[in-house]
Amino acid sequence: MKFHNLFVVALCFSIASITSAHEGDCPYCKLKLVQNTPEQDNEVVLRFGNKKIEYRCIFCVFKDQKRYKGDLVVYAPSEKVGEPVILKRTEGKWTGPDGVVFLNSFKKHVDCAALSRAFSNSAAYDAYVKKNDLKDTKAFTLVEFIDFVVKPAK
Amino acid sequence: MIALLSLVLSAGFGQDQLPPVPPDLPSWIRAKGMDELYYKSAPYNWSINRIPKFARDMYATGVGHSMAYEALASGREAELETTTFERINRILKNPPRLPVEEMALSPTFVRKYGYLEKVFDWAHTLHFQTIDVLAYPGWSDSRKEQELEELWSFYQSEPYALTGLPMNMEYLDSFPYSKGFRQKYPKVNGLFWGYHWLQTVNYDMLYRVPTADQAPQYEVIGERYREVELYNETRDFMPMTAELSPRFAKRFPQLANAFDNLHMLHDNVNDILSQPGLTDLQREQQIQIAIYRVLDSTHRGESEDTLRPNSLHDHRHPPSMPGMGMMVGSDEDEMYMSGMGWMNMSECGHCSVPMPEEEPWGATVTADGWTMSVRCLMCARDMASETPGRAIIRAATEDPKKLLILVSDDEGNWTSNISKVVFLEKFGEHPDCSGWSRAFTNDSALKQYLVANPEYAGMPGLNLSAWSKLNQGKPDTYRRIDRPNPYKRGGNK
Repeated sequence: MKFHNLFVVALCFSIASITSAHEGDCPYCKLKLVQNTPEQDNEVVLRFGNKKIEYRCIFCVFKDQKRYKGDLVVYAPSEKVGEPVILKRTEGKWTGPDGVVFLNSFKKHVDCAALSRAFSNSAAYDAYVKKNDLKDTKAFTLVEFIDFVVKPAK
Repeated sequence: MIALLSLVLSAGFGQDQLPPVPPDLPSWIRAKGMDELYYKSAPYNWSINRIPKFARDMYATGVGHSMAYEALASGREAELETTTFERINRILKNPPRLPVEEMALSPTFVRKYGYLEKVFDWAHTLHFQTIDVLAYPGWSDSRKEQELEELWSFYQSEPYALTGLPMNMEYLDSFPYSKGFRQKYPKVNGLFWGYHWLQTVNYDMLYRVPTADQAPQYEVIGERYREVELYNETRDFMPMTAELSPRFAKRFPQLANAFDNLHMLHDNVNDILSQPGLTDLQREQQIQIAIYRVLDSTHRGESEDTLRPNSLHDHRHPPSMPGMGMMVGSDEDEMYMSGMGWMNMSECGHCSVPMPEEEPWGATVTADGWTMSVRCLMCARDMASETPGRAIIRAATEDPKKLLILVSDDEGNWTSNISKVVFLEKFGEHPDCSGWSRAFTNDSALKQYLVANPEYAGMPGLNLSAWSKLNQGKPDTYRRIDRPNPYKRGGNK
């Protein structure tokens, strides 16, 4: 990512953190939650029964999923404001809409909200990668993404 | 810099670097011999055993304290994080059914520092008898509150009593040896702070709670204690009573302050005993000085109005919380809470609107190791819903004598201690939330409220199941206090 693009993304998050309401910390990474902006949704919401728990990014959700013993619904921000990708874990098996792909290219966790995201289709993924000038990225399918996230760290 | 500091510490302190022995050190501190004090005679004694799991965990804290102190006093600090930790942990996982005589477990410690054991023992007696009063089924809430005042007087009648005034925690944790134990022995320090978490979180579990509704809460609290808090090495500072039992601390600030001062004395003693550069004489003197700092006799005649900031006689407290001294970085009502970040104790933890001055007082939420005060049932439910894990809500109803206790499972399904509980929730402006989000002990109480408050006329009462499924999302009034952690290097200490 070019420096100025990264700076713009960081600035958006920084402004959001001042102006948005009810910012807690991510239950997994303990970093501040990143709020939605008019241009982009960032809040990842996990539904577990009556619980509605926010995470900083989709990576954090999959990393933390073991703590929940039961079915889950995850509303992952997509390329469209107000139209999250809905992922479900039913009896331990994850499913998502056809064509959903994932980006996961952060080097430092502080960048996770911008660089660990879901997209409703490959074209939207390609557009995001191009817009942010991201290099060496891969579009993960849901199965690949889960496999990538849950594999033991080196 | 760190290497230089380590060198200085390992090389020992010059006498001029350490706090001097005060001229008015009470004579009993230098007296040899034991002074076994016993409980105030009362019908409520040992009521803690009505909550067996809680009682056993509490008895085990005494064993844990004693084993660690014996290791420190007998020169076995090198084993603390390994052999001693494992020994203590075995006891914590198989806690005793009866209280264990701590002196039998720590003979070297008691022989060397018997005066300290007198202070600890007397304050621990206050801890336990306070629990016994609150867990006793034979008295009304008002009789129990009266007894706690009498118990405090009884406690203060002995020279070993700690002050009930708020003390500046930053000052008490600022000596040349301070903070060493938590850095060098994080596992055993985690145990100590875990015990102190249990010893402070329990008071809101018991205070004004019908005795039948106390044990069910311990299913949540005990699990958290045994699985997380005992092994928590990330806490920034010792647990404070007002942090974990805000209602109790507000009603009985003298008790809350005494417990915090006791726990800070424990931290001071841990730091002194584990400080390698001290001679035996210096160690003994510094423990005596640490005791002196928090004794009731040292602060006699002083009050919360004694304004000597950042000193031994700094008895300021947050305006809305008399049961807590000033903390590192705290500013008026704002304090940094481990696990929650900066909070304003005069405001709702969920919507940031000031807590109500009048009845209903609102609710508290206990989840994920913290307890927060909130304005209304909606704030309580939604705050718990945002938090992974089981939770407890304690809330006011229309009847000041009937506290609503809700306990949730991992999925946010609530059970209630009031079978006919009914809720009003007409979502509106948050500053008015304590008017439109309330709990009632039965339908007829709700109807009376609707008659008296026609703006809510026609609103249906919600049963527990329907109410549990609601979620009003993020309050637009919430204001995050965006300041760095003052306990981290580079924080705004």
